[in-house]
Amino acid sequence: MPLERQSGWYKDAIIYQIHVRTFNDSNGDGIGDFQGLAQRLDYVQELGVSAIWLMPFFPSPLRDDGYDISDYRSIHPNYGTLEDFKIFLESAHDRGIRVIVELVANHTSDQHPWFLESRSSQDNPKRGWYVWADTDTKYRGTRIIFIDTEMSNWAWDPISKSYYWHRFFSHQPDLNYDNPAVREEMWNVMKFWLELGVDGFRLDAVPYLIERDGTSCENLPETHEVIRELRKKVDEQFPGAMLLAEANQWPADLRPYFGNGDEFHMAFHFPLMPRMFMGLRLEDRKPITEIMQQTPEIPASCQWCLFLRNHDELTLEMVTDIERDYMYDIYARDKTMRLNLGIRRRLAPLLDNDRRRIELMNGMLMSLPGTPIIYYGDEIGMGDNIYLGDRNGVRTPMQWSGGWNGGFSIADPERLYSPPILNPVYGYQAVNVLSQKRTEHSLLSWMKHLIQIRRSSAVFGSGSIEFLHPANHRILVYVRQLGKETFLIVNNLSSAAQAVELDLRRYKGNILIEMFGKNVFPRVGDLPYLLTMGPYQFYWFRLRRI
Amino acid sequence: MAEETLLTDDFLRQLINVGEVDILVGLPTHNNAKTIEPVIRTIQAGILKCFPRERVVIINADGGSVDGTPERVTSASIDDVWNASKVYALRTLHSVSTQYAPSPEPGAALRTILAAADLLRAKACVVVSPDSTTIEPDWLQRLVRPVYNDNFDMVSPIYRRQKFDGALMRNLLYPMTRAIYGRRILEPYASEFAISGRLATDFLANEIWNNDWSRTGAEICLTITAMAGKYRGCQAFLGTKAQPNRGARDLLAAMRQTVGVLFSSLDNNFPIWSAIAGSEPVPTIGAQSEVVLEPARVDRKRLKEMFATGVAELEPIFRSILSPSTLSELQRIASLDVNDFNYPADVWAKTVFEFAASHHKSVISRDHIVQALVPLFRGRALTFLLENRERSGEDIEKSVESLCGEFERLKPYLLEVWADRK
Repeated sequence: MPLERQSGWYKDAIIYQIHVRTFNDSNGDGIGDFQGLAQRLDYVQELGVSAIWLMPFFPSPLRDDGYDISDYRSIHPNYGTLEDFKIFLESAHDRGIRVIVELVANHTSDQHPWFLESRSSQDNPKRGWYVWADTDTKYRGTRIIFIDTEMSNWAWDPISKSYYWHRFFSHQPDLNYDNPAVREEMWNVMKFWLELGVDGFRLDAVPYLIERDGTSCENLPETHEVIRELRKKVDEQFPGAMLLAEANQWPADLRPYFGNGDEFHMAFHFPLMPRMFMGLRLEDRKPITEIMQQTPEIPASCQWCLFLRNHDELTLEMVTDIERDYMYDIYARDKTMRLNLGIRRRLAPLLDNDRRRIELMNGMLMSLPGTPIIYYGDEIGMGDNIYLGDRNGVRTPMQWSGGWNGGFSIADPERLYSPPILNPVYGYQAVNVLSQKRTEHSLLSWMKHLIQIRRSSAVFGSGSIEFLHPANHRILVYVRQLGKETFLIVNNLSSAAQAVELDLRRYKGNILIEMFGKNVFPRVGDLPYLLTMGPYQFYWFRLRRI
Repeated sequence: MAEETLLTDDFLRQLINVGEVDILVGLPTHNNAKTIEPVIRTIQAGILKCFPRERVVIINADGGSVDGTPERVTSASIDDVWNASKVYALRTLHSVSTQYAPSPEPGAALRTILAAADLLRAKACVVVSPDSTTIEPDWLQRLVRPVYNDNFDMVSPIYRRQKFDGALMRNLLYPMTRAIYGRRILEPYASEFAISGRLATDFLANEIWNNDWSRTGAEICLTITAMAGKYRGCQAFLGTKAQPNRGARDLLAAMRQTVGVLFSSLDNNFPIWSAIAGSEPVPTIGAQSEVVLEPARVDRKRLKEMFATGVAELEPIFRSILSPSTLSELQRIASLDVNDFNYPADVWAKTVFEFAASHHKSVISRDHIVQALVPLFRGRALTFLLENRERSGEDIEKSVESLCGEFERLKPYLLEVWADRK
């Protein structure tokens, strides 16, 4: 049974990002599939997350890991059938877990029948579904995103002897959203999945839907019109369904994607993520508080989506040059770790596998305003393989146990879609779900506890935030408040113990209850509230007047 | 530990908030409101430009300013610097101010700064004068980089000076320290310098703080400590150094702060300096700029009169300090007309060495010995002016080099009088 689509469900959600291919192989062909994923739903439920975001699982030549779709209404045969998907969806819903699917709306694969038709002749009815030109001189002000592989946003098509527009790989032609037929067809695609019961879409690469000469071809007003049109239809026909924007932009440019609450429900807060890593290594809250100060208010029904790592590189597009240089030097000294304008690494290796730093970063992820996303495997501290091409190093098989192929597949290891992580530190024999489930103090157990506490109150998802500014810049402090509930969050970004004095006079008379251990701390008075904190320690306090 | 009682609780609280730093910029102040703001802004610009990643703190040690100097330090917003320079700091920059005493005391100011550097475990500590109105953002880099990146323990400045500026430095402090400690540091007593955390910590633990002269002469003592110890020193070319107008009282104070300390240092360091012969250059970083500044006007007649009067009036004192031959030579020089005036380098070197030996033996009050040297120094300064009146900046440097050669050549004479004088 589909879960009832309550409005605003996404604000209190915790999302778990999964690639079907990487999660669990049920049929022994070395590739994860929907049946395998369904078998692991108990694990996802135990973890405590409330939604799954599935990366593209549609038929595709897989030249960009499924972000090059050749059929929007089906399942890639590697991953099973549409029936398998329906079973998975129902099983997830039965466990109270919502499912968000990826909609790569900006472009298709060059193997999509639409494009094959479009390129077949200049008179084909689908010709206008893509962006064609006789020269490669239009839209010159547009940046190239995949700077490591692409020289131009135009590619020559030898079949129809003209250029087509692509913002990503040249095998991913951009759809032409000026064409009403394209917009209508994309809505039909969305309707197809919503009718099956999915709870929302993560729309990939939304700033690039429309092109105009003399502009950067990003964030154009016409793009917002397209989004508003889709949103209106979603609200009318599938109320409660959620749209999440992938728009790697500065906060001020992101704000329009929420519109007046009539565009996206959620958008990724891209600039915050690198600054969390930066603040941690600088041991200084400045990068985090500054970007939060620049973060505009959004409509009450909307929400930021926060993440530490995902399937892509740790993108450094939304940082200044000096910040980017710093991040490269600190987190990717080995140039193999770099890709485009980013760092292709998982959370644990980025943080030197330091449990305290991993916990602190997850603590901030769960307590800053927004809906957190956990990338599969990061909850157990999985490692990466920087020697695999592109971003495949962070898309290796999920590590379920110390056994054959880490419990991911019974196939011969050589047959796996990707070699599993094997090294002594991060390999599946050292880092896996089974062993961590058996240990009360494992990262997995800790993550479950963290998620449980986060889900215990709506303050984290919907509450306001106010930063305090203690003189000790290594301490990041904020107050989250919703109704009568007030939480005080104190994070020590430093590798050394710190003392901090907090001005809590406005909360005079309250006692602080530490939310992990439920211990009572002294009552707030007129004097500065002194806390001493261990390296990378953080506190979540519930304020109680008693 | 010395710093336990040195620092106020409030200052300590502020330091706790700052935490460990890479670079500490020390600003000793006293009623510098007129000049402090541009100096602070330049320091901030230097930090943003050259050390955006480093953990930096500005520590203002104030000696009881009544003109709002500390407030100007702490309120100088770095936002203005960001806007002006289009550069961006990754980190929080703290500016902390503390009043170390109700009245100015350079030694205590330096001690406070060093104590902060020690507590904050600064890798490099740079001290900047609050009246350095000619300071440029690059000064910070030139002073700090050798310590921070190249493991030097002390970086002394080389300023672009007016033609006859720095007479005390060129005629006494430089030649003397060079001959004594064997290192060619042009500005052993500088208002801008950088030191390593190691040297800061070691010097803070030094016993000099128990001496009276540490209150005023700690800076040169620091240089001497670096020269005499196993510390790596170098020099960095800065730029033009603005010189505040100085009166006669300032010279006496400067002599007490420098010459007195230099003489005193000889006592404990005898095993070190007595074994040193000649001198070695120290690495010098950066590009030297041409000396093009116009000389300040000097009243030669008055200088000559002050010298001659001093020689005559202080003769009884000189008899207990100087050898008969040196005193006799001084009296001859005092009788010369101003146009023929010449206080030769070898006589000057001998004079200084005999004063140093007398200081060691405390033949009279040590402070009186230093005071008695003042009129003689004026005579030497007059010779310096006369000799170099028509010379280029380069020739003046050659002249200074020649004087240093005399000090080095006559160092055995110092050892002789050091041992013999009763």
